Amino acid sequence: MPPAYLKRQRRAGLLFVLPAVIYFGGVFLVPLLESVIGSFYRTVPGGATQFVGTRLYVKVLTDPTFWQAVGNTVSLLVMSVPVTVVLALAVALGLHRLRSLKARSAWAAMYFLPFSVSLVAAALVWQWIYDPVYGVLNHALAALGVPPLKWLQSLDLVRPSLALVNVWARLGFDTMIFLAALQAIPAEYYEAAAIDGAGAWRALRRITLPLLNPQIVMVAILELIFNFKVFDTVYATTQGGPAGASQTVIMLLYDTAFKYFRLGDASVMAVFVFGSLLLVTLLQWRLFRRQVEY
Amino acid sequence: MAALPAPGRVLKPARLGWLTAALVAAGALCVVFPLFWMAVTSLKTVPEIQRLPLHVFPARWSNLDNYREVFQRQPFGRFLLNSALVASVAALSSAVVSSLAGYGFAKFRFPGHAVLFFGIIGILMVPFQSVVVPLYLWINRLGLLDTYPGILAPDLVSVFGVFLMRQAIEVVPSDYVDAARIDGAGELGIFCRVILPAVKPAIATLVIVKFMWTWNELFWPLVVVNSPTMKVVTLGLVSFTNMYFIEYNLVTAAAVVSVLPILAVFLAGQKWIVRGVVMSGLKG
Amino acid sequence: MRGARTIAMAAVVAMALAAPSSWAQPKKLVFWTHWEQNPEFNKFYETRGKDFAQKTGYEVQVVTIPYQGYEAKYLAALMGKSGAPDIFMGMTHHWCGQYDFCDKMPADLAKTWDENLPKYIVNVGKWKGVRYGIPIEHGNFQQMYIDADLFKKAGLDPDRPPKTLDAWLAAMKKLTVLDAKGEPTQVGFALRHKGHPVGITDKFLPFAHAFGARMLSPNLEKATTFANSAEMVAALQFYADLVNKHKVASIAFPTPEDAFGQKRAATIFRESWFFGWVKKNAPDVAFKVYALPCGKACPGAGNLFPWTNMVAKTSPNKPAAWDFMRFISNAKDDLDQHQAQGILPVWSANLESAYVKSRPDYQSTQEMLKQPVPPEYYHPKSNELATAFGEAVVAALYGKGQPQPLLDEAAAKMDRILKD
Repeated sequence: MPPAYLKRQRRAGLLFVLPAVIYFGGVFLVPLLESVIGSFYRTVPGGATQFVGTRLYVKVLTDPTFWQAVGNTVSLLVMSVPVTVVLALAVALGLHRLRSLKARSAWAAMYFLPFSVSLVAAALVWQWIYDPVYGVLNHALAALGVPPLKWLQSLDLVRPSLALVNVWARLGFDTMIFLAALQAIPAEYYEAAAIDGAGAWRALRRITLPLLNPQIVMVAILELIFNFKVFDTVYATTQGGPAGASQTVIMLLYDTAFKYFRLGDASVMAVFVFGSLLLVTLLQWRLFRRQVEY
Repeated sequence: MAALPAPGRVLKPARLGWLTAALVAAGALCVVFPLFWMAVTSLKTVPEIQRLPLHVFPARWSNLDNYREVFQRQPFGRFLLNSALVASVAALSSAVVSSLAGYGFAKFRFPGHAVLFFGIIGILMVPFQSVVVPLYLWINRLGLLDTYPGILAPDLVSVFGVFLMRQAIEVVPSDYVDAARIDGAGELGIFCRVILPAVKPAIATLVIVKFMWTWNELFWPLVVVNSPTMKVVTLGLVSFTNMYFIEYNLVTAAAVVSVLPILAVFLAGQKWIVRGVVMSGLKG
Repeated sequence: MRGARTIAMAAVVAMALAAPSSWAQPKKLVFWTHWEQNPEFNKFYETRGKDFAQKTGYEVQVVTIPYQGYEAKYLAALMGKSGAPDIFMGMTHHWCGQYDFCDKMPADLAKTWDENLPKYIVNVGKWKGVRYGIPIEHGNFQQMYIDADLFKKAGLDPDRPPKTLDAWLAAMKKLTVLDAKGEPTQVGFALRHKGHPVGITDKFLPFAHAFGARMLSPNLEKATTFANSAEMVAALQFYADLVNKHKVASIAFPTPEDAFGQKRAATIFRESWFFGWVKKNAPDVAFKVYALPCGKACPGAGNLFPWTNMVAKTSPNKPAAWDFMRFISNAKDDLDQHQAQGILPVWSANLESAYVKSRPDYQSTQEMLKQPVPPEYYHPKSNELATAFGEAVVAALYGKGQPQPLLDEAAAKMDRILKD
């Protein structure tokens, strides 16, 4: 390749990504840096800020409330992310099997519908569904002879209940991604496997899942980020209750910044969130991504 | 463009076809149920909503009182217009800038491309609550508070869009691009005439997803909008909840009103979505 | 791409047309409030603003901020040099104490308010003895609402309510109906158990004060030995027993307002705005309002959320803003505004007006106001302190621990917050 051509290539590439880079840099990077810098300052009564070095980091990272929030968040993640990924995969596989394209589109659209509702509206509707007295869920359980559950008002059930709302909201979106990827797998692979005598399960394990690996990793990463950062669902319903059982790191961050007026502490939490997500994403990328032989 | 396999080719054997179809259908109905519940609640009066034993269906299917009140209390029509404007502009600008960036990342090797790409993905990992005050102060300094550009500021380009377009463009055979170069086409010309037509479905997907996402945004508009005439639909919706209680009859009606336009957009472009996500799914 | 281009152009044109034209409008005072549930009250400022405009040329524009997220919006706006409201509604000890966003009230206006407010809310709107804000809510202390029909059904006289906590508890037991499994289908007391811990604290404090306890030391500098005093432990034990031992309150019930409105709860402790809500949303509930029952002490007229109107320091229209406040700082305006919304006026003089005398809570309000003023907690960190305290209360309600250790932990946390 002639060097002039390469140079033109490099310049062109840079120019193509420049608008996006400038935009993100301007809109997010500068506020992000200001926020990170803010994590080294504390606000004193009167509104002035005082440089305190890493004191706030020590304070936040040794605060049991903070770690309880982290624990709640991890618990929510563990409940939402695998369920979302597996369910989305299952639904996509099921949809893929349907012979009629019309049926497939119709059902797929229904799965995608929750995505069209704002998270706040969805959370409020779900809260009503979960209501221990008037909610339709307990009503249905009663018809099956099961005693009513407290759902969002129960210490044990509040996190699974919220996780369910998140799964519901995201399922369709991930299903679409998987469905599209499934449709791109050439049929010859399965025919060859069938000739070799492989059953449906083996074909799934040996062909489908490995070929879907990039999408599975991408979806897992996106879901992890989404569920970690989710705010509207909790804020509109439990506000972190009962007794802090549903207080996630983001809820605590919001309260710390805006209800307790401790912007420095909140910035520390933001740095923690960003760092954790980056770490976990990179780990996921490294550990689970596999190069696939086509 | 890679040839798509014929639709309807299924995994052999198809003995469990009926069971699968039934499960898929049941799942779909479960997923849609909360939305159905939302719609049905919006047609009920307050006593109906809170009566025991529970009645699923409203007493009068033609009871539009809640909808009337939603529009009476606030200029909800104006909110719809504002949301439509903001979401459209955000979707279009995302499509343009994300496509450009996606092309740059997919087909070019330049120093720092990995850092820049992961840097952009990293934006997703930043909690918005922690940048909202600095961002607001900047928008304030620029005099863009309570204006459309102000509301649009954090929404003009989508990280997911860059991701999606990069995946989609990666799959376009480089031969086409090289051929065009040999013919003497300029880079921008190649982008417009070779790349974009090849990834139309992905662009359509991005436009629709970004439109929906921006339409449903709450926190940023809450902070940056003051005038009632500049409010967006989500702000209108949240005004039916307050410090003391939630007016479920009005919230659900407002939610239905805010979902209908998106549904229209979605159903119109649904065909494009299914084909569009295909592109992003190939070879991650 | 043709279509897209046309749409883009249309968008740009629309934006240009919609850009606010600031050169043709009269001068405005911008008033921010998050009291969305009181639209008549808020509209009053605009209506009077029109009269004010005739005198001075300044109109008043009321902007209603959603309560959800209002703190973030206020903070961002008040930190910016422009874009802040001229007048805003909030809590003085936050915006004037924790932050320095408020303008000091002119001495003459401050004197007017000091002289005309009832004793118990004179301190509302003041920080370190200096007045910044005007209280807008009198009667934001809790009173006891009872469902007269449910009382009669239980063999109790709705005209002779319980006056002591012991009598009250006995009544609650009579008013609770259990089903076959021992779970309540109707409770005596509608308990607040959901939502942010600050709200939980707010609802528990009358009980705490009735037991003679207080959340913080009188100078608001210490929590230990106050938040976890023997009296507080007794109070929390009493409160938790309502749910766990006597089952006269339930954490499985809906919000207390709905429970009361649905006749599933016979009593509720709520502020004076509540009867307006009941009249509108549960018109078939025959209710009566009484003073809260007393224990060792009487709960008195206490509140955790003293809402006030303040003027922003960065406002370019400060003199006009204070002029407007002067304009409506009189007995008549106070009466008209609060009457329009159906809430209690703030001026002492208005407490004997015909409007107030005709309210169902007139007698009970008089009785509550006669009681000694309960502890106040107007500290800049009140949100955080009340949250830490509220978490102990909720944990006790949910049976997640015993009152003493829970309060010990909360007190330690509160001291850490205070020392920070």
